[in-house]
Amino acid sequence: MTRHIKEIIIKYVFFSFALVSIVVLGMIVFSLFREGVPIFKVVSLKDFLFGTEWYPTFDPPLFGIFTLIVGSLIVTIFATLLAVPLGVMTAIYISEIAPRAIKEILKSIIEMLAGLPSVVLGFFGMVVVAPWLQNTFDLPTGLNIVNASMILALMAVPTISSISEDALYAVPHEFKEASYALGATRFETIAKVIVPAALSGITTAVMLGMARAIGETMVVLMVAGGAAAIPESIFDSVRPMPASIAAEMGETPYRSAHYHALFATGMVLFFLTLAFNLIADYVSHKFKQTGSATP
Amino acid sequence: MDSNIIIKLNNVNFYYGNNRALTDISMTFRKNKVTALIGPSGCGKSTLLRLLNRMNDLIDGTRVEGEILFEEKNIYDPEIDPVEIRKKVGMVFQKPNPFPKTIYNNIAYGPKLASNNTGDINTLVEQSLKQAVLWDEVKDILNQSAMKLSGGQQQRLCIARALAMKPDILLMDEPTSALDPISTAKIEELIEELKKNYTIIIVTHNMQQAARISDETAFFYLGNLVEYNKTEKIFTNPDVKHTEDYITGRFG
Repeated sequence: MTRHIKEIIIKYVFFSFALVSIVVLGMIVFSLFREGVPIFKVVSLKDFLFGTEWYPTFDPPLFGIFTLIVGSLIVTIFATLLAVPLGVMTAIYISEIAPRAIKEILKSIIEMLAGLPSVVLGFFGMVVVAPWLQNTFDLPTGLNIVNASMILALMAVPTISSISEDALYAVPHEFKEASYALGATRFETIAKVIVPAALSGITTAVMLGMARAIGETMVVLMVAGGAAAIPESIFDSVRPMPASIAAEMGETPYRSAHYHALFATGMVLFFLTLAFNLIADYVSHKFKQTGSATP
Repeated sequence: MDSNIIIKLNNVNFYYGNNRALTDISMTFRKNKVTALIGPSGCGKSTLLRLLNRMNDLIDGTRVEGEILFEEKNIYDPEIDPVEIRKKVGMVFQKPNPFPKTIYNNIAYGPKLASNNTGDINTLVEQSLKQAVLWDEVKDILNQSAMKLSGGQQQRLCIARALAMKPDILLMDEPTSALDPISTAKIEELIEELKKNYTIIIVTHNMQQAARISDETAFFYLGNLVEYNKTEKIFTNPDVKHTEDYITGRFG
């Protein structure tokens, strides 16, 4: 066998392995759509997305997932508000400020946090955070937006911090030297040179952290409270989409309207995460070459 | 101290961890002159240059002995803030390193940080770019990213950026080694021009460059100052055989 033929065979072996994951992903998306789309024979797209009544087991059933979308978005937004400062500050501390020993310890702790099973974090939310919230603020329940956002933030921090950290490390050392040589202090250098130069990477990190939070199921199932209603305060319970799917899927008859509605909810979730990923991708490419040339 | 002398080194030793990179250096740099530091790679010339604006502080595990006097004060005195030193002693690096910001903001960066600078930044930007002979090329694109300039333009931008701080001394660490001959010639012309107002200390691997632009030349070898004299003398009739061997290319 000539060397040339070997090269060709090797090329196709690698190609077919790469293809496997793409094919599997394609099949998953296909089945999601196949099971989800039929719901639109029962309810219009507009009523499905913007209807505020989610009573899938009533007669006649009502399939409006607006409250679920709001639940998902609200916990994601609050989680992001908490996780971004935490994650980004941690990344800055690790990459620019911490002495080597502390840096190593902190990095492994954050990796451990990333490795915690979400059910364990959910437990923590239920058993520790919920009673504390309930007693401190005198609430009917501690399973609410605040609790879910806090736990989700805890899950998003490792994603945000490790990707931001990579972005900060990638800032060329020459920029830092140039800044110091012009009489900038360490904090001026961080704030005016390093962070702006890493901004696209940090934005990507935030987007991926949000994608992580919006798709997270176990935590919101355990600590968000499960009320399919538009919340009026941050201490109200909500029912994010993944929680609704996970809680109800086991009790729906195969290929009933309710079953299709849950798959369609999965489609909405899929499009939302896809959007976050596309934005992250766009942002990281857009500023790649020129840096963030802010006027 | 002689009024022509701007920096004076007294018995300076410098260590990276346990490695001694500079041994017992005593020398003076004269005001409004161009001094070239030459020698083979690893001889300590860049280390010496970076000592003069305390850039070596940024590297962990380094240590300085002896004193470096600038304006009558030891810049390694614990009471001296390195940030203040770096405002007075500008630096241009080997690789052009503009910030990924606009041309305007590259120049304005330093002056905006320096709180005592209340003057007109626009004028300062124009003035600095003119001094670095870059103004005509960039005056219409001040709001474009500096990353779009050519290597030679970027290096002149870096010089302009350093000049905007109105430093007393300009340190240059092989400023033309990453540039083509035409850009190199432009930078050399610029150095000629700048020495009227600034003291310039330049590290270079290019012997012809040292001979062309400097008034005085110091030859370093293995962390020692071997010979330091007028450039003409070093390149025509050096006192030390070692220096002659190096500049004629017999080693290094």
